[in-house]
Amino acid sequence: MISKKLAIEVLNLATATGADFAEIYLEEDKTISINIDNCKVEGCSDALTYGAGIRLLKGLQSVYGYTNDISRKGLSKLATSLSASFNDKRCVEVNSISKVRVSKHHRPQIEYSTYPKDKIIGMLTDASKVVLEYDPRIVRCNAMFQCNYKEVEIFNSEGKQFNDVRSRGRAFLIAVAAKPGSIETGSAGPGAQQGMEFFLDEISLVDQAKEVAKTALTMLDAKECPSGKMPVIIGNGFGGVIFHEACGHSLEATSVAKGLSVFSGKKGTKIASSIVSAVDDGTILGGWGSGNIDDEGNKTQRNLLIKNGILNSYLVDNFNGRRMGEKGNGATRRQSYKFEPTSRMSNTFILPGKSTPEEIIAATKFGLYAKSMGGGSVNPATGEFNFAVNEGYIIEDGKIAYPVKGATLIGSGKDTLLKIDMVGNDLKRAQGMCGSSSGSIPADVGQPTIRVSEMTVGGRGGAI
Amino acid sequence: MNYNKFFTKAKEEGLEALELYITKSNQLSFSLFKNEIDSYSISDSFVLSARGIYNGKIGYATSEKLDASTIDYVINNIKANASVITSEDKQFIFPGSEKYSKKNVYNRALAETSPQEKIALAKELDAKVKSLDSRIQEVETSYQEETEEVMMLNSYGLKLSSKQNYAVIYSSAVATDETGETKNGYDMKILTDLNELDIEKVAKKVVEKTISQFNSGPCASGKYKVVLDPHCTSALLSFFIGGLSSEEVQKKSSLLADKLNQQVCSKKLTILESPLTKNVFFRYFDDEGVATTNKTLIKNGVLQTYLYNLRTAHKDGVSTTGNGYKGRTGIGIRAVNVSIKPGKLSEEQLLEKVHDGLYITSMQGMHSGLNPQSGNFSLIAQGFMIKEGKLAEPVSLITVAGNLYTLFNDVKEVASNIELQTNSYSVPSIYVKELQVSGK
Repeated sequence: MISKKLAIEVLNLATATGADFAEIYLEEDKTISINIDNCKVEGCSDALTYGAGIRLLKGLQSVYGYTNDISRKGLSKLATSLSASFNDKRCVEVNSISKVRVSKHHRPQIEYSTYPKDKIIGMLTDASKVVLEYDPRIVRCNAMFQCNYKEVEIFNSEGKQFNDVRSRGRAFLIAVAAKPGSIETGSAGPGAQQGMEFFLDEISLVDQAKEVAKTALTMLDAKECPSGKMPVIIGNGFGGVIFHEACGHSLEATSVAKGLSVFSGKKGTKIASSIVSAVDDGTILGGWGSGNIDDEGNKTQRNLLIKNGILNSYLVDNFNGRRMGEKGNGATRRQSYKFEPTSRMSNTFILPGKSTPEEIIAATKFGLYAKSMGGGSVNPATGEFNFAVNEGYIIEDGKIAYPVKGATLIGSGKDTLLKIDMVGNDLKRAQGMCGSSSGSIPADVGQPTIRVSEMTVGGRGGAI
Repeated sequence: MNYNKFFTKAKEEGLEALELYITKSNQLSFSLFKNEIDSYSISDSFVLSARGIYNGKIGYATSEKLDASTIDYVINNIKANASVITSEDKQFIFPGSEKYSKKNVYNRALAETSPQEKIALAKELDAKVKSLDSRIQEVETSYQEETEEVMMLNSYGLKLSSKQNYAVIYSSAVATDETGETKNGYDMKILTDLNELDIEKVAKKVVEKTISQFNSGPCASGKYKVVLDPHCTSALLSFFIGGLSSEEVQKKSSLLADKLNQQVCSKKLTILESPLTKNVFFRYFDDEGVATTNKTLIKNGVLQTYLYNLRTAHKDGVSTTGNGYKGRTGIGIRAVNVSIKPGKLSEEQLLEKVHDGLYITSMQGMHSGLNPQSGNFSLIAQGFMIKEGKLAEPVSLITVAGNLYTLFNDVKEVASNIELQTNSYSVPSIYVKELQVSGK
């Protein structure tokens, strides 16, 4: 997007006052969004995101700025303003830039920009019809689609240039079921870092449409979930949000480096039950949270976070790594040039164990089966979390007894990890958007079916 | 940039109407760690959002790039995107309201204060928080300032503009007591004038929120009378107000459908929307260019109006309420500067009235633990027991469960302690008849 010559000039302006590292991140992203309500196309938009961010590091200090003006004038002005934060002698100088070869593993086969919009609309409308015709109590189906094509160019004061291309697509289906005085929803949001081939060959939106309609209807007739402490079986796939929130965020260098995480200083110690191993894997082919390189230009990695219950690795970016005495491990990400990059998750999941999901249910006398989870949040300082259960069932005598709605799981990450007493063999990943200091980014959560021996369940159905 | 070229091109390409909505913003932000600058950020950005009507349908295009190629990018995409629309809703580009209540809310003094002075102010707050209690281990203080200029132009000759600036100062503390228990707390202020910042008061609040949670734990499960502080009230109210969206009502996704002029919540509640209040959230035209007005949404519990934009108003045969809000693929609906009319009792008097119950200061996970359609919620919460009319021991790791619509119906009393929240809502503490609590 800019010439090497301009990059060198801007990097040298940026480092003139003593910064020990400077980086220019340029981005051009084209996003298409489609919104369909009850089979009617209500909105369609194209959006062009375009700009550059410049980051300066000096020891443990960082300075960041961004602009849409990537001309020589715009970038020079930004670099000069940022360098005014320091008042020291130059310690690095860039004389040449060499381009680092980036292998493009996740290239789309059928690019969204070449695929007719009306065919995408047709696919979503077909799925919407399936939802709406599933049952008379389904009153609304909202279908959305978003895809993008992002080109990234990074230059840094180590004389390196990286170029990458990232293309993702995701569909959403929301079913609304209603009866007098009561409304419930079911939803799905499959996506991948692939082109249209993901929707054509790998998944069936129509199958997912049936599932979301079924969930909304099941919840419409469900009883309120009872509250109290009980064993909880958490379903595979999006159930992994529990691990993402309760553990993943606390393993990010962003909070670990400053000693603000419950897992700061715990490397090599037992933080989870010994049947728990977990990874963050940014290399999965076509994975929603995957990348060829991270936003500092480091190659993405498969990082083993927990090995048989022992904390093995954090997710580290180069800057926070300075405070920790560790190197970045390919986990630095950002939403766009408008965000300073930091350590983030990519595709994070608990590795499979030996039990079948049926065995886990059969081994539970009484408890909650959280088949499908909603989102959640966590307090990184204390590790306290909460999650909503989208589709839940009460288990009695080893069998699924009846559906329940309105359940919430609460606890603290460090206690819950230690209480996982069964791990299934049915690993599955699911897509989400993860929000944190460097913006909202695509990330996969995942896990096999697991059981937590005891959790606090909140609900409106009275105490157990 | 001469924007006339966009309108000329639009006409050539057969667009019936075109609107350009241009936002320019500048930001300054920094954060402190161990009382030193840890990160510092500046930015300027530009975004052009365009919509146009082509063959009666509407199309959208947005660009952060402004050069010779932008005109074609915008007009071609508007045409292509309008061509796939199948919704029969009538679409509008608005010629203009008769009268606009423009006010100057830009504070030049804030923009002209040097970054050094702003850093000094944040450092003072940061040091104050650390000094107030020996158990405080770490403090993080951050400052963020934004200036935003909006210009809206359309092919009917409408031209509207606004310029606003504000600063948000945030401080959080992590404290550890002698048993190794860790707690954190924060406070934030949104300001247009730095002189309004009472450092002593904010620092005390941060420390109080942090250390008051020591030795806290779950209370017994059961039903409790509950007081929600202004922050919790504002968050829950924003979901309730979401149910007033005509879009949700028309699509049968709101439980407030068919409830106009009926009792929808407690008689104690009168709820207003006042976009023309001269504060950080002031706006005199909505995202469709319609003049905004102050209005009563709910009077003594009776629903007065739904919230409309031009499209949904046309469907219901009414006038827009000036609540059009720009979303990614269309104009949605939003309310700003919503307030609950304060009651007569101070918060202390309210607690005395409750006598025994639970005072809630934090509810987390609303984006997932609250279903905006059904209103059902189950949220992790913390706060204090209310015993004999006074705040007693701290409570944490509990969930409170209920239903939004039942909750606002069950409001027994509204206090007088109105506070402007960062979501633009100005609300007091409220006393709710009962909520289900799951604790130990």
